Amino acid sequence: MSASLEKSFVNQLQENQNLIHKICRLYTNNEDAHKDLFQEITIQLWKAFPQFRGDAKFTTWAYRVGLNTAITLYRKKTRTVDTIEFDNKLHKIDQEEYNYEEEEHIKLLYQAVQQLNDIEKALVFMYLEDKDYTEIAETLGISEVNARVKMNRIKGKLKKILNP
Amino acid sequence: MDELDILKQNWKRTAENFPKFSEQDIYAMLHKKSSSIVKWILIISILEFVFWLGISFLMKDSQSTRQMENLHVDYITIPMTVIGYMIIIYFFCKFYINYRKITATDNVKTLMANILNTRKTVNNYIIANIAFIIVSCVVIFTIFFQRDPVLLDTLSKYEANGDASMFYLIYIAAAIICMSIFILIIWLFYKLIYGLLLKRLHRNYEELKKLDF
Repeated sequence: MSASLEKSFVNQLQENQNLIHKICRLYTNNEDAHKDLFQEITIQLWKAFPQFRGDAKFTTWAYRVGLNTAITLYRKKTRTVDTIEFDNKLHKIDQEEYNYEEEEHIKLLYQAVQQLNDIEKALVFMYLEDKDYTEIAETLGISEVNARVKMNRIKGKLKKILNP
Repeated sequence: MDELDILKQNWKRTAENFPKFSEQDIYAMLHKKSSSIVKWILIISILEFVFWLGISFLMKDSQSTRQMENLHVDYITIPMTVIGYMIIIYFFCKFYINYRKITATDNVKTLMANILNTRKTVNNYIIANIAFIIVSCVVIFTIFFQRDPVLLDTLSKYEANGDASMFYLIYIAAAIICMSIFILIIWLFYKLIYGLLLKRLHRNYEELKKLDF
């Protein structure tokens, strides 16, 4: 693939890298795994890049490839590393609005989301990204009604995890 | 406000704490090797095709094949060889067509279905090969029993002692045991591959199917 194509890809990915980080955030729980998944998504995006047409937004296209990689293509490594430090780093709230209780609550919420399965995490991710149900359903390949039903069940499941 | 909405408020701010990869970091990542499941499926599948092709070549050169040639049963061995190659060509083409359908830009369910379909083609290829080997063995055994002078000679000795049924029993039992061990090894090998590679994919696919009844 040509150097200009590579440059254009790297530029766009660098600008929109937060989107990939967010996917990694939900599907991994330590720094190494986060980087590993980020790398695999980057490789899959680059492989699919020649088919990317400018008429779609880079982010719309990238989050689909990213989710597919996280759910289906990526082979998880079995390593387990202590996640507390990493969790703290990511949940940190700016000093001026620091609120210990809020931070603790957010941490618990993330931990609850980590207990969901891969498909449920995909729904949560798209919900957090403000995607509408038409898009959520289309991305997963299920009907809109079923996407809504599942989303409500996930909310219930999270409540149960947090208030056993 | 439910839990997810609380998380949503924090979600946008979370981005500020992520590591920032530079363009150089991203360039470096592009040239790293992928550990994608599809890559592994491709490698394993090609190895399987090579393995079975190797077995068919080895069988071609074996002593029993040479013995078969002496029995002048070309009208059976040639069609069998042709069928063997047709199986390979058919499944390899099907595998390639299915493999080309795998694209990371499809929706999640279609992508999973395409990957599982590709794998299924290779599994069917293995099943077809095992069936073909079993049929070949039955044909070869039958021919040997009818035409091989050494075997016929041994059989007539057993018959003279009134032990013909024992002779058949030993031969057939030995053949069945060898076949069973062979199939068991292949079955265990597949269980291992599935366990390592496709367990998560199957689980996720089942979850999606359950959602979309």
